[in-house]
Amino acid sequence: MTNNTGFARFSRRAVRALALTAVPAFLLVQSSAPQNVAKVDRVATSAGSDKDTRPYDKHDFTGLWARNPGPFKQPACPECRDRGPVAYGYFGEVPPRTPEGEKKFQMNRPTKGFEPGSKEALEHADIDIAYRRAYKAALSNDPEEHCEPLGLMRLIAFSGGNAAMQIIQNKEIIAQKFEWTWDNREVWTDGRALPNVDDYLPRFNGYSVGKWEGDTLVVTTVGLDDRQWLDAFGYPISEKATLEERWTRPSPNRLRIDMTLTDPAMYTKPWKASPKVWALIPKEAMSIAGWSGLVEDRCVPSDTALYRSIQDRAAGVKESTKK
Amino acid sequence: MRSHLTKSFGLVAGLLLISASVWAHHGTATSYDTEHVWTTWATVVEFRYLNPHPSLRFERTDKNGKVEQWESEAGDNPSQLARAGWTKSRSMEALKPGTRVKLYLSTARAGGYVAVVEKFENEKGESILGERRDYPNAVDMDGVPGGYQPKPQDSK
Repeated sequence: MTNNTGFARFSRRAVRALALTAVPAFLLVQSSAPQNVAKVDRVATSAGSDKDTRPYDKHDFTGLWARNPGPFKQPACPECRDRGPVAYGYFGEVPPRTPEGEKKFQMNRPTKGFEPGSKEALEHADIDIAYRRAYKAALSNDPEEHCEPLGLMRLIAFSGGNAAMQIIQNKEIIAQKFEWTWDNREVWTDGRALPNVDDYLPRFNGYSVGKWEGDTLVVTTVGLDDRQWLDAFGYPISEKATLEERWTRPSPNRLRIDMTLTDPAMYTKPWKASPKVWALIPKEAMSIAGWSGLVEDRCVPSDTALYRSIQDRAAGVKESTKK
Repeated sequence: MRSHLTKSFGLVAGLLLISASVWAHHGTATSYDTEHVWTTWATVVEFRYLNPHPSLRFERTDKNGKVEQWESEAGDNPSQLARAGWTKSRSMEALKPGTRVKLYLSTARAGGYVAVVEKFENEKGESILGERRDYPNAVDMDGVPGGYQPKPQDSK
């Protein structure tokens, strides 16, 4: 039931396509070997701590993935975690912002990171200012705090908690479902060209096409809605931004995505993210009361409104009950 | 009393801040004084199993017999709770109205009767709503009016 609910957020066109392709493919994959058996390979597992040397298909990303396998009682994945003093970020070497980019950056008030003037902020004075300007939640305009869509890069980068994702794949399309906010995106691999973004409405997860370069799936995305933040720290993007993702499966139990954002309206040069790595979680290990799969971890506006009322009081925004 | 508190809290402040700032979903350390965790016995008024985090209304009685009404953020995200075995029904049963619980709290930086619950224990001393880290230096303030209220230097 919950899986079907998630797909309701796809466009009509995508839903029709998925009904014809992705869902049957998903069911097939659950009960049989990966489709692309010709690509099955035995590889060295140099990527991190995954020592599994079983054969696997480098072109098949199907499965449940998490950047914190601990809650699923799976082996630790040190390379999955963000390195550095803060988490939940796109990270990488932050490029200089354009004047317009700086203006938008200053308007965004994140909750993540260190508070200005705090001991931690002073100890990490060498990191980008974005990680040292945290606001109280009640005073923030972070879209997440208001149940607004997170946007594509933020869905991918989110890793500090236990949020998992699921990939459903066939030859024409890859559907990527994200547990936190119960969101999804699609990557078309049927050979289509990218749309002319000026003729389309932008959308939070953009329009994505993928093509194979050897064992790397190169995904290009355009048409991103500029109301989203690049990550939890309030970096802006424009609707002219292009995101390139390079997906690889360096070992049976690892998925890696390397992102590069090119957005000349906001940044003076392309921006490479730190690598994002996931661990494969067996279906049986991601199970509650016998029901396996992602949890419907929606951001529910009414729940969030109540939660925020507490945050408001914590920040002294509203009168507390103190007598 | 104040110097004792400062000394005890100082021992764990660094670790608490690091863990809170790195892993908290919604900027917990910016809204609550997570450097000064304290404990109190309380009575559940209402527990709500909500996203992104549950909330708890509770009462505590100070040593003068005055009843304080508190509001709090309480516990992990429901998906994490459920995966740890704390499903909605089990959690609601463990924290039904009238239940006595020992709470480990961080008071709102703005002060008042608002806090985040760092850890719950039932009357048997068992951790409920999931296993949480230990707070060996948490200060027992059961019965102290207002519990721990952040001082001006604690409000960043």
